[in-house]
Amino acid sequence: MCEYPIYVKALIKRQQGRIQESLQLFQAATALNPHNVANLKQVGRSLYLLGKHKAAVDVYDEAQRVSTAEDWEIWHNKGLCHMYLKQYDESVECFRSANDVQRHDTTYRQMGKVFTLQERYQEAVDVYLEALEFSPDNPELLTTVGLLYLRMGENYRAFEYLGNSLSVDPRDAKTILAAGSIIQDHNDMDGALIKYRVAAVQTPNSAQLWNNVGMCFFGKRKYIASIACLKRALYLDPFEWIIAYNLGLVHLTTGQCASAFHFFSSSINLKPDFPAAYMYLAVTLARLDDFENACAAYDRAAEIDGGADFTIRLNYAITLFNGGDAERSRTQFAEFEKAWLAADEESRAADPDVETQAETLRRALGL
Amino acid sequence: MADDEDDPSSREISKCWLAMKALERHDLDECLEHCNAALEKNPYDQQMWYIKTRCLTLKNWIDDTELEEEGVAEVLMDEHATAAMPRPGTSLRRPGTRTQTGMPNQGIRPTTSSGRPTTGFLRPGTSTRPMTNKGGVEGAFRGNRPGTTRPVTTSGRLVRLGTASMLAEPGGPFINVDKLDLRKYAQRPALARVLCDYILHHDRNPKKAVELASLATVNAGFDDWWWKHRLGKGYYQLGLLRDAEKQFKSSIADMPTIDATLQLANVYIRLDQPASAIRVYRAGQTQFPGETSMLLGEARIHDALNDMAAGVALYKNVLQWDATNVEAIACMGAHHFYTDQPEIALRFYRRLLMMGVNNTELWNNLGLCCFYASQYDMTLHCFERALQLADDDNMADVWFNVGQVAIGIGDLNLAEQAFKIAVSVDANHSESFNNMGVLDLRAGKVDQAIANFQTAHELLEFAHEPLYNAALTAFKLGQFQRAFEKVEKALENFPEHEDSLELRRQLVQHFNLL
Repeated sequence: MCEYPIYVKALIKRQQGRIQESLQLFQAATALNPHNVANLKQVGRSLYLLGKHKAAVDVYDEAQRVSTAEDWEIWHNKGLCHMYLKQYDESVECFRSANDVQRHDTTYRQMGKVFTLQERYQEAVDVYLEALEFSPDNPELLTTVGLLYLRMGENYRAFEYLGNSLSVDPRDAKTILAAGSIIQDHNDMDGALIKYRVAAVQTPNSAQLWNNVGMCFFGKRKYIASIACLKRALYLDPFEWIIAYNLGLVHLTTGQCASAFHFFSSSINLKPDFPAAYMYLAVTLARLDDFENACAAYDRAAEIDGGADFTIRLNYAITLFNGGDAERSRTQFAEFEKAWLAADEESRAADPDVETQAETLRRALGL
Repeated sequence: MADDEDDPSSREISKCWLAMKALERHDLDECLEHCNAALEKNPYDQQMWYIKTRCLTLKNWIDDTELEEEGVAEVLMDEHATAAMPRPGTSLRRPGTRTQTGMPNQGIRPTTSSGRPTTGFLRPGTSTRPMTNKGGVEGAFRGNRPGTTRPVTTSGRLVRLGTASMLAEPGGPFINVDKLDLRKYAQRPALARVLCDYILHHDRNPKKAVELASLATVNAGFDDWWWKHRLGKGYYQLGLLRDAEKQFKSSIADMPTIDATLQLANVYIRLDQPASAIRVYRAGQTQFPGETSMLLGEARIHDALNDMAAGVALYKNVLQWDATNVEAIACMGAHHFYTDQPEIALRFYRRLLMMGVNNTELWNNLGLCCFYASQYDMTLHCFERALQLADDDNMADVWFNVGQVAIGIGDLNLAEQAFKIAVSVDANHSESFNNMGVLDLRAGKVDQAIANFQTAHELLEFAHEPLYNAALTAFKLGQFQRAFEKVEKALENFPEHEDSLELRRQLVQHFNLL
């Protein structure tokens, strides 16, 4: 029996996707030569691929005992196993040790992933940025950093990284989608649509893509096209609450309040803690002349929101005033002004309509 | 009749005339009565024999231009394969190999239990696909729906029909074909023709029919289209497709008929040569413009080849000739539904309703159209109607759709209950198992979800959804081996599925890393 051919055969089996057989071969190779670290490492990797993470960690421990030199691969793989076992601290520790031996893109990526899983975004970004220092042209890294910045709300920097990623790999659907959404946020609908067109060829069945396209059309005031796109998105992914929410918005804008109500209510059913959905539900209900329930919805929105969003208060005040309850309207208006003063410059400038509405209401209330 | 009782000859004539008239009126039972009475008196009365033969043939006649279901024997012992190599786009066996841009693919338009894209109309034979080899013997025995079986052979079913029709006759079979001297009959064209039809449609004994027809066609000097046509029919039923093809072709060359054209196309479909079948239909359409059965036949082939655009054009053409064609209306409705135009689909289905079609499937489709067209108040009423009319066969489908609607309005509890009911009605309802798995996954019950996906896959081999879902779940749990197996199978069923491709890319990356 010869060790090396078995080893190679096992590698081939793995490439064919037959992990179980490859594990047996690696084990045979290990039995022939228990002191070869390479064999042990492969056994560990096979176990990891089969989802037996605990056993894999044991094997890697054994490999570390046998091996004479420090090996980044063992540390890296051990980190992976710990990650799947949800032992995040050990996992990060392993990845750090791996990087101390030798630095690799994958290690950084996995470490970033662990931080992302724990929702420690800033640390994750730091890890990725470190990785980018020595491989600045890796489109996946660039995209991941961009997405993280997007999640942290730093759109400008996110766009920078996504743009860099796109200049390396202009056809990656995920990057296009993220970049498009930022372009869209800056009201350049046509620019975003051009980007989406590239992505649509590759992922025609992506609900997120159709959602964004639909909202582009909404921004361009092409409501029919918008509804068509959003409906297709909802058909493809009925669990996505934001599509239902967007559909509600479009229907509310076109004055089809009954339909809007249904979409808002399904959106709330799927995600019960999004204050804006309750607010728009309340607006819809007010338009449908259901004053009582509209007030209840406003109360709920304000309760979840905790007073940060002044539009909820303003809309509540307007609805109360229209419903003839000037007394409560005044209290809500006072709340609005408090929130308005607390808000920063950017969110105040986002919608000039708020100020005019507030002014009108103030005059109407006689304040 | 009581008046001229003493004049035997006049009574005889009036019996014959009455029988003829009854036959004309298609009052077959009355006709049979007259014939039996007369034949009892005189068993050698040739005209009564003629009438009775016609009458029995008509009584047992079924339209055989529609493609019938293939039997196990045909599937397993198919010797007509023109090539073992895959023929993308020109074989009915691999409908997925032809997709065109702009038309809904498998991700949007679901497939039937055998992997064909769904059309608006369920027809025998077209909802199943000729088996690919991977089904093996087990696959060959499995019927249209999970849990049912196929007939052993196509002709076996015909033979059964034949015995049934013989049993229904008092006093044994009317004509004992085995004892007849066919040579003698072949010389008398008129009698031979009724006898041939009788053998084909009443006795369902294609072997004898072929014998008679081949004798007769020799007698007719090989230039009688009628005999060639019947010969082709017999060969077709015997499974001798190449001989059938020759006879039908020759018959059409002598005298183009609709029936022969349809049969010839059926031969090509059985031979898995859709392009030839389309050619035959096209030639027939120039001969018989406005013959909807040919247009429909061609449209069905386009549908089966996943070429919806061509099919839709033909359905429109059919509706121009015949505005009440149920199949064409239903297919147009389905087409519009899957191309994001539920409002237009709704109009087609309402047309069907106005034409008097009133069944579960229609109400179910109406309910879905109403839902996607945002007419919520109508949706539940439609489903209620559908459930009222439903039986065990289709109730599960309705509940499944109720579940879909429930997901659409975000009521996940109702959805889960609906799927559970669907499964309790039909324990083989794969789609419901799949969706229950997805709901379980959302609720965090991972093990249950995996089990549900597995069940869904076992019940419905040709669907990619349960496979992809199972693969993704396994991948997230870190079981790459299982994920890889599943995703490979998913891609076999739907080669362009973007998410599966992405998943496989990631898996291969994992495997290739040293």
